Formats: sequence, C-alpha cells, structure tokens
Amino acid sequence: MSDAQLSAKQIIQGYDGPRLRIMEVCGTHTHEIFRLGIRSLLPDSIELISGPGCPVCVTPVGFIDEAIMLALEHGVTICTFGDLIRVPGTEMSLAGARSQGAKVRTVYSPLDTLELAEQNPDEHFVFLAVGFETTVPAACLTVKKAKAAGLDNVSILCANKTMPNAYAALKGSADAFLYPGHVNAIAGNATCRDLAEKEGVSGVVCGFTADEILTALAVCIQLLQEGKPFFRNCYPRVVTDEGNKNAQALIAEVMEPCDSEWRGLGMIPGSGLTLNSAYDHFDARKRFQLPKVEGRSNPHCRCGDVLQGKIKPSDCKLFGTACNPQHPVGACMVSGEGACSAYYQYSR
Amino acid sequence: MNMCVGISGKVVKASGDTVVIDVSGATRQVSADLLSDLEPGDYVMVHAGVAIAKITDTDAHEASQVLAAEQMQSAAEPELAAVV
Repeated sequence: MSDAQLSAKQIIQGYDGPRLRIMEVCGTHTHEIFRLGIRSLLPDSIELISGPGCPVCVTPVGFIDEAIMLALEHGVTICTFGDLIRVPGTEMSLAGARSQGAKVRTVYSPLDTLELAEQNPDEHFVFLAVGFETTVPAACLTVKKAKAAGLDNVSILCANKTMPNAYAALKGSADAFLYPGHVNAIAGNATCRDLAEKEGVSGVVCGFTADEILTALAVCIQLLQEGKPFFRNCYPRVVTDEGNKNAQALIAEVMEPCDSEWRGLGMIPGSGLTLNSAYDHFDARKRFQLPKVEGRSNPHCRCGDVLQGKIKPSDCKLFGTACNPQHPVGACMVSGEGACSAYYQYSR
Repeated sequence: MNMCVGISGKVVKASGDTVVIDVSGATRQVSADLLSDLEPGDYVMVHAGVAIAKITDTDAHEASQVLAAEQMQSAAEPELAAVV
C-alpha cells in the first residue's frame, strides 16, 4: 500500500463525525469501490450511494423500443456498445430482437460503424448513441466523418446526455458528489465549480485507481467537516480545468442541447444532445420517420429509485430473485456499470 | 467491453488523425482527432476508440500531491478552489 493510500485510509477510517452521504455519480466508481474493497474501510457513519452516471441505466425503455423498430421494421443494422444488447425494452431486448432476425452488431467504437458502412454499401447502419460527455465526441466524429466521406448509409439514434443539469436535479441527494473524472476530462471543471459556488453543491473529481478513489474520498471527508460548499479536482493527471477544447468545439459543431428523459429522474430540460440541422440527414429518427415511442418498464422494477440514491439495489424486491444478471428486469442489473449489477456481484 | 471503461495506453505510432497505442502489450489504433501533436512516448486516456486526454503514465505521485496540496490549502485559505 502506498504512502498516499495509507494517508487517505487514515483520514477515512479515522472519521468520527456526523453521518455523511457521498454519491458516486459514475457507475464505474460504484464497481471499482466494490471491487477494491473500499467499502470495507468506511466507518458506519459514511454511506456511499450510487447515482445516475451509468448511461445505459438512465436510457429510457422507449429508446430500446425505437432501436428494435429500426431493426425489425426498417431492416437496418444496429451497431451498439455491448452493454445495451440485453437491456429490456417494452416487449423484448435487442438480444430478443436478434433472435427474431434483427441485425445487431456490437462495436467497440462508434467509428467502427463507418468501416462497416463502407464495406456494405447496400446496408444501412444505425449507431445507438448513448452516453455522457465522455462518449459524445466519438458519436460526433462518426457523423462528421460520414458526411465528409459522403457515406449515405450511416445514421445515429441519439440519446446522449450531459451531466450538469442532472447534478442540479440531484441537489440534496447527498452531502457531496464524486464526479466522474472522464466527463470532466472533456467538459472541464467550470460547471462543478459553479455548482459549489452558486448552488452550494459540493463534490470532487475522482479518478479510477485505488489511490485516486481513496484520495478523493479522503479529501471529500475532510472538506465536508469544514461545513462549506467545495469543489476539488482530485484527478489532475487526466482532468484539466479547461477540459478538452477540441472535443467541446466538435460537440458544439455537430449537436445542440435538447430536453432529455432519464430513467428514474424523468424529463430534465436541456440535459440531452441531438444532432443539429447541419447533420439532420444522419438522425435516424428523422431519416426513418420514427413515431413517438413511449416505453413501459416492469412496474415492480425500482431502477429509478436506485438511480436517485433513494434505495439500495438490495431494497428492491426483485433484486437477486426475479432480477439477476442472467435474467435482468431493469437496466441497472444489465450494465457492467449498473449499481444493481455491482451489488449482485460483490455484496450479496 | 463496457462502454464507460477508459483505457490508458502509450502512443507507439502517430500518423495523421490516428495513433497506435500500447496497452500492456496489446496494440490498437485509435482516433487522435481530439488531441493535437501526439507523439510516440505520450500517454493517453482512450474512450470508445477516441483518445480524449493526454495523461501521465501512472498515478504514482498524484494522490500524495493532491493530499499535500489539500493540507497546504486548508492551512492557508480554506476557500473554494481547485487543488491544481
């Protein structure tokens, strides 16, 4: 164990104050905190709660239904990150649709869609664009390169989201946030600093190694004891104050803000991104004139409450019984970043 | 692979808008569209096939520096500010 880990560990284990609730916004943090055994270091007075930072988990059921409609009714080939394939839609998942003949391909990067489109000019490829600031630039690059190359058989189904308005919506859910480091690597720190200065929302930017997570928690605990709103960047080897300017410019060139539905949080104004008019041609909803789709999730599934930190996954009566990784009922059990998946894997 | 997992790697070849990175011995070509002037020997964080940030090679010194800066800052001026 490094000196820094020892120091941070001493701060964490030595805490003896009032109850603190710290939200790990990012699903990767949830999993790494479990995997690294960090929860076992925490005194009883510190509670870690999971937040809505898993893009697969907050994507509404209707989005899956739209993708299935595109695949089964319009015959397109769906390209997607693997996480989405088993997320239940209203009637079935993409995996279920594949068993009915839908063409669904897993890609590592949205840019892989371009290669597929070039190699198969008679086929139309739709990339399922979910994700926050971290993955939005890859989707933007894909449509920009498609346009530049004159590729007419590529489009995206967009459900990209941005975090600032979600943080504001979550105000009061926790005493402090562990901000997702790679979101800030793109967006910079201005929003989080403003949240502290203007809204009284405290948080620290957190990396993903044991040292980084312990350090962020230790800084958080120290500053919470001072009783003033704060912001700190505890991931400076990756996150700069200004973020990635090239990525910000690319997003501004290709997309524009829109209202967006978050599973569990409902509609949050200005929290989504959609292609702007210059890239309309690559918007699968417009290209295939999709109707408005209202998805329906299992009424007993409590993913929404989990995503807001209102309950722990184990408080849901489906957890570990009707809902498990082999037969997931809610998105939080499917995704590798989902809180229910983490609790099932590490804490049963 | 999970869409949210960032991969850090060392640039071993740079050519135009792509670079080849080495991740524990495995190599992969990724987009360098978002970063300027990447050169062999640089370390980058990659998300969904796109290099999003130039980084240091390890977190070996980061944690101790953050904690030290925090202690200094708390002693000097416990006001809103980033540690870097």
